[in-house]
Amino acid sequence: MRRYLLRRLLESVVTLVLVTMVVFAGVRALPGDQVRALVGEESDPAVLEQLRHEYGLDQPIPVQYVRYVGKALSGDLGTSARTGLPVADTIGHALPVTLQLSVFSIVIAVLIGISAGVVAAVRRRTAAEWAANTVALLGLSVPNFWFGLMAVLVFAIAFPVLPASGFVSVFDNPVESFRHLLMPAVVLGSGLAAVIMRQCRSAMLEALGADYVRTARAKGLGGAQVVLGHALRNSLIVVTTIVGLQLGVLISGAVVTEQIFVLPGFGKLTIDAVFTRDYPLIQGVVLVTATAYIGLNLLVDLLYSVIDPRVRVGGAVA
Amino acid sequence: MTTVAEPVTTATPLGGSRRRALRRLRRNPLAMTGLVVVVVAVLAALLADLIAPFSADRTDFGAALQPPSGEHWFGTDELGRDQFSRVLFALRASVTVGLAAVGLSMAVGVPLGLLAGFYRVLDPFVSRLTDTMLAFPFLILAVGLAAIRGPSLVTAVIAIGVAEIPLVVRVTRSETLRLREMDYVAAAVASGAGDGVLLRRHILPNAVNALIVQATVTIPAAIIGEAVLSFLGLGVRPPTPSLGIMLASAQQLFRDGPWLVVFPGLAIVLLTLALNLLGDGLRDALDPRESRR
Repeated sequence: MRRYLLRRLLESVVTLVLVTMVVFAGVRALPGDQVRALVGEESDPAVLEQLRHEYGLDQPIPVQYVRYVGKALSGDLGTSARTGLPVADTIGHALPVTLQLSVFSIVIAVLIGISAGVVAAVRRRTAAEWAANTVALLGLSVPNFWFGLMAVLVFAIAFPVLPASGFVSVFDNPVESFRHLLMPAVVLGSGLAAVIMRQCRSAMLEALGADYVRTARAKGLGGAQVVLGHALRNSLIVVTTIVGLQLGVLISGAVVTEQIFVLPGFGKLTIDAVFTRDYPLIQGVVLVTATAYIGLNLLVDLLYSVIDPRVRVGGAVA
Repeated sequence: MTTVAEPVTTATPLGGSRRRALRRLRRNPLAMTGLVVVVVAVLAALLADLIAPFSADRTDFGAALQPPSGEHWFGTDELGRDQFSRVLFALRASVTVGLAAVGLSMAVGVPLGLLAGFYRVLDPFVSRLTDTMLAFPFLILAVGLAAIRGPSLVTAVIAIGVAEIPLVVRVTRSETLRLREMDYVAAAVASGAGDGVLLRRHILPNAVNALIVQATVTIPAAIIGEAVLSFLGLGVRPPTPSLGIMLASAQQLFRDGPWLVVFPGLAIVLLTLALNLLGDGLRDALDPRESRR
C-alpha cells in the first residue's frame, strides 16, 4: 500500500513539474514583448527596462523558471494586468462559486446516474430500461451548453419558475442558493449522469451474472438485498473511477455553464481573462486548474485503492 | 447474425473480417439511420452554396426576427438573415473541425502509441507526456491556446486535436501491447521481420479497428467542442457561420426570437446523435464480442 501511494505521489509530482514548465513556456510563446504583454500600454523604454528587471526577465531562463515556481509555491501568482489585484485573491474569490456548483452537480449526477443505471440493469427489456437508455443517449448527444440555453428558455422565460442567472452562496441563503444553482447544476451534471448511468448499468449486469450474487440468492437473500447490498456495492467502484475520469470534463463544463448562467465563478473568470488579454491571470488560472486536476485525480486513485483492494497489490488490475 | 464470435484481431485475412463487419453494420437499423443522417449532413455542408435558399450573410432588415415560415424554415435573426441557410453553412465549420481535429490527434497519437507500446524504454516518457497533456482540461487548454494564438478555426482544431491526442495514444498503446504478444507477431519475428515491418504490416493494420471505434467517439466530441469554443468566442470568429456563434448571439435574443436558440442546437444534437448511433453500430460490428453485453 505504501509503495503504491509513494509511486502515485511521485508520478503526480513529475506531472506537476511538467505542467509548470508548459505554463511557463506558454507565456514565453506569447507574441511580442513579455513586459509589454504583462503591463499593457506602457511605452517608455526606461520604464520597460525597469519592469524587465523587476519581473526578473533579464535573468537566464532557468533562473526565471525557478523563481516562478518558488513564487507560485508561496501562493504568489502575480498581479492581474487589468485590475491590479493579486491573481491568487481573484481566483480565491471565484473558486467557492465553482466549487458549490460542481459539488451540487456531482451529487445530482451520481443520484440520477446510479438509480437509472440500476433500474436499467434490473428491469431488463422493459419500458423503464428503454427510457433510461434513451435519456442516457440524449445526455451524451445534447451538448450541455445548448441544454443550458433551452433550460433557461423553458424554465426562466416561458415559465418563469427559476432565475435565469446570478449566484447566491449556500452559506448566505440556502433556499435562494438552491433556486439559483438548480438549473446550472442539472445542466452541468447531465452529461456525467449519462456516463455514470451507462457504466453503472453494464457493471450491474456483469455483477448480477457473477457467482457471488448467485450465492447470495441461494442463501435466500431477497431481491433488493442482493441488488443493493452485493451487486451495487461492487458497481460503485466503477462509478468512482468514472467520476474521477470525468473531472476534466466537469471543469470544462463548468466554464460553459458559468458563462450561460452568468455565475461569477472560476470559468467565467477564465473566459473574461482571455478577452481582456490578462496574461498573468490566464497563467494563474491554467496553473491552478491543472494542479487541482492532478490533485483530484490522485485523490480518486487513492480512494479507488481503498474501495478495491486488488488495485494496490499489483497496481495492474485495470 | 452469425453465432461464432469472430475475434477482431486474428491473423486471418483482414479483408474477410471487415466484409463481415460491414454486413453486420448493414443489418443494424439504428446505425444505418445514423449513417444516412451523417451523409445528408456532410452533403448539406459541402453543397451549401447550391442548396441554401439564401446566402449565409444576406441581411434583410425588412424581414428581421421572423419566426419559422414557409419562406424561412428556421426563421430569421435580428439582421434578417435566413437561419436555415446559416445552419447549412455552419455545418461546414462543424464537419471541418471534426475531421481535422481527429486527423491531427491520430497523426500525432498513433505513432506515439505504437512507440510506447512496442519499445518498453519509451513507455514511461510517453506516459508522462500524455499525463501532462491530460492535466489540462480541454477548455483550459483551449483558453491557453486562444490566449497565445488568438481565436480562430485553426485554434479550435489544434485545441480539440491536442486534447484528443492522449486518448489516441492510450488506445494505440494498449492495442500494441496486446498485439505484440500475438503468435503471428512472434512468427514474423522468427522469419526475420524488422521492427519497422512488424509495426507497419502486423501491428498497425490490426489496431485499426480500435482506432476506428475511437474516432467514432471523438468526431462527435470534436463537433461539440467546436460549437462550445465558438459559443465562448474562443473558436471560429464571425462572420464565418458556426452553430456555436449562432447560439451565442441567440442568447441575447431569448425573448424576441426563441427559435434562434432552437434550430442551431437541434442541428448539433441531430448530427452528434447520428454519429453516436453510427459509432455504436460500428463498434458492435467490428467487435461482436462486445456487442452482447
